[in-house]
Amino acid sequence: MSQPPEEESARPLRDVDLRAAERGVWLVKVPKYLSEKWKRASGKGEVGKLKIISTKIPGAQPEVTFSMNEAQAQVQVPGRGTATPKEHKFKLTGVGNQNLVVFSENKGEGTTAAEITERIAIEGKVIQRAECQPVVDKSYMQLKKRHVEDSNKPKREIKQITGVVTTYKPVSNHAANIEHEKKIKEGGKRIRDERDVVTNKLFEIFEKHQYYNIQDLVRLTNQPVVSRYGLFNR
Amino acid sequence: MATNVQQVAVSKPGASSGSQGNASEYVVRVPNDPLKKYSMIKFASGTDIDFLKLSHGKVKMERENNLRQYKTIYNLDAMPKFGAGSEYGREQKEEARRKKYGINIKKYNPNDQPWLMKVGDGKDCKRYKGVREGTISENTSYYIFTKCADGAFEAFPIEEWYNFQPVVKYKYLNSEEAEEEFSRRDKTMNLFSIMVRKRIKNEEETEEKPEDKKDKKKDKKSLILTDMEDWMETEDEEEEEEEAEEGAEKKPKKEKKEEKTKRRKNAKINADDEAVEESDEGDFDDRELDYISDSGSESSLDEKAKNDKYDDQGVDQEKGLKKLIDSEEESSEEENKEEDEEDEEEEAEKEAQSKKEKKKKKDSKENNKEGGESDSSSSSSDSDDSDIDKNEDKFSSVLFMQEKKRSSRPNTPTVEKLEIKTEPKSEGGIKRKIEAEEGGAEKKVRTESPAPSLKTSASSSSISSSGEITEEAIRHYLTRRPMTAKELVQKFKAKKSQMSNEQLTQKIGQLLKKINPGRKYIKGVMYLSLEKTE
Repeated sequence: MSQPPEEESARPLRDVDLRAAERGVWLVKVPKYLSEKWKRASGKGEVGKLKIISTKIPGAQPEVTFSMNEAQAQVQVPGRGTATPKEHKFKLTGVGNQNLVVFSENKGEGTTAAEITERIAIEGKVIQRAECQPVVDKSYMQLKKRHVEDSNKPKREIKQITGVVTTYKPVSNHAANIEHEKKIKEGGKRIRDERDVVTNKLFEIFEKHQYYNIQDLVRLTNQPVVSRYGLFNR
Repeated sequence: MATNVQQVAVSKPGASSGSQGNASEYVVRVPNDPLKKYSMIKFASGTDIDFLKLSHGKVKMERENNLRQYKTIYNLDAMPKFGAGSEYGREQKEEARRKKYGINIKKYNPNDQPWLMKVGDGKDCKRYKGVREGTISENTSYYIFTKCADGAFEAFPIEEWYNFQPVVKYKYLNSEEAEEEFSRRDKTMNLFSIMVRKRIKNEEETEEKPEDKKDKKKDKKSLILTDMEDWMETEDEEEEEEEAEEGAEKKPKKEKKEEKTKRRKNAKINADDEAVEESDEGDFDDRELDYISDSGSESSLDEKAKNDKYDDQGVDQEKGLKKLIDSEEESSEEENKEEDEEDEEEEAEKEAQSKKEKKKKKDSKENNKEGGESDSSSSSSDSDDSDIDKNEDKFSSVLFMQEKKRSSRPNTPTVEKLEIKTEPKSEGGIKRKIEAEEGGAEKKVRTESPAPSLKTSASSSSISSSGEITEEAIRHYLTRRPMTAKELVQKFKAKKSQMSNEQLTQKIGQLLKKINPGRKYIKGVMYLSLEKTE
């Protein structure tokens, strides 16, 4: 975690940028394949055109069509084919009595500051909801067919392997063990220090924590166990 | 591979292509800004908030920090990490243990915590809490289309949805209470009273909790066997509630009170020396129910014995419970003397000590009387009982009365040792006299008051208990000890509750004129007294 040591207190509230609060925005439900393509938009990010035809018939919703760019349409999405329908219709619906507001978090550039500074801004209020529906054509059918096939495949497969599998052969003594034994031999038995020295050390140790395991103490003081007990009993 | 990006006619409402209407074309851009993350706020239906209408435009938002709760749930920080109580290597051990058993604790992700939003300023701010909504479906994604200045649309994907609800700080009824009130909705006129009632209930509950402990303690000690005792307790509870804040020390005091109130019911209580009283019909009724008390139902009692019965201490002072309460009483005695004078404490200790030596009490009843006389003589100088207004004082005085009696009793294991007993008593009496003269506080006097009460001459008792306001009665009172006129009135009030205050005072005034008692001014209050004529 790149975060500093966790704080438990409530953090102060951050100011929210309200400059764009009056904007009216559209909330559009976009199919997955389309959004994936959009995410890989290149350049300035233009993906297509939106054509809005406002009808003269009162009460009717305007027609909205989205047509994708040629270039965009060719964008390859890994794992799927490129065949996506180009034309989509937006089906407009009202917001109802829901109060939907969009806000954004802007992560700060530098992480040198103690806290990650994020600027929160209100981006607008939803005034219109829409669904992006593809105009059904051949490419769409193919797309869907592929989808269904993919999802019906079992998650686990049986593959045939070509390489060699690592096996573990029994070893008389593992390398790690050998090293460990060597270390002990060289390190020598733990020598008994003077009693005073040891007791002083013990006092220091116990200043840090209250409870200790005997083995830990042995390790920390480098004393053989028997003498440890002796010290304690006295 | 930026290939040719087709330019598009922008924003001009072009000539209509069809007969229907105007068509306009816009470019759609999907900017890819990795730093900006868009989320949706969904306000609960009915929540009235519009950022446009905010006049001062102050909105603040921040993530809730639930780290502490997270830690307490998983007991991460329960034990100290260093210093007292800590183990060496505890954290590592815990971790190793978790791994061994495969326990996976979800990591605390601060970005998953709810949002806290505050709209407005200072006092009239509104707070909202936004909880993340799950199941952003896998097959759809939501985009926000906004219109840019250059006429193009920009689409941003929304990553998270939050449901914001206003934070409620007022109290509300839970479902059970709501159902109750609903069933009564036709009858309730005043809706405000519903919440008031609930608040009062809450306060009682919080007070009951410390009470429960006390009750339990009491139950252990006093083994409620009779309705009487139960009744006592409920009365005491009210008193206890007042003192609930004062802590455990008050427990013994309450027990004292319980017993005081018991006495009151038994003896038509006088806050004063008047322990001796001829029994009216109903006075002895409850005696027979006191299983713990040593007093049984003795129908064939002579007057003296009956009076002595009344001299008895309350249930908890009798053998059965005395030991249990002993230590507490000592401390409680000291407490009663809130005006802390060391003398009083000495007294209390003395009494407590003498109490401890107590043996048979019946034997020493006789001794009481005689001892009492000597005491009363020595304590004639006692004074100050100005706080009759306080119930507490009354009760504690009654208590001390008993203690005094008891203290006299223990000193005489047998009847013959009368003299021995009176000696320590008189010593004590003299001491007390001195202390009283030193300007004792109110409560000190109360400790003295038992002494005169021991004077259980039948005549006096009969006079006072008859309840008539006679000259004799007044004389009797005043000889015992000096009293203020107020006290006199109160005494008679207790006995003769039929008369109104004015009548009482009138009568007493008349009689007083007759008697013409001596007047003493102690501590600014006028006391009436009569010299003892022995």
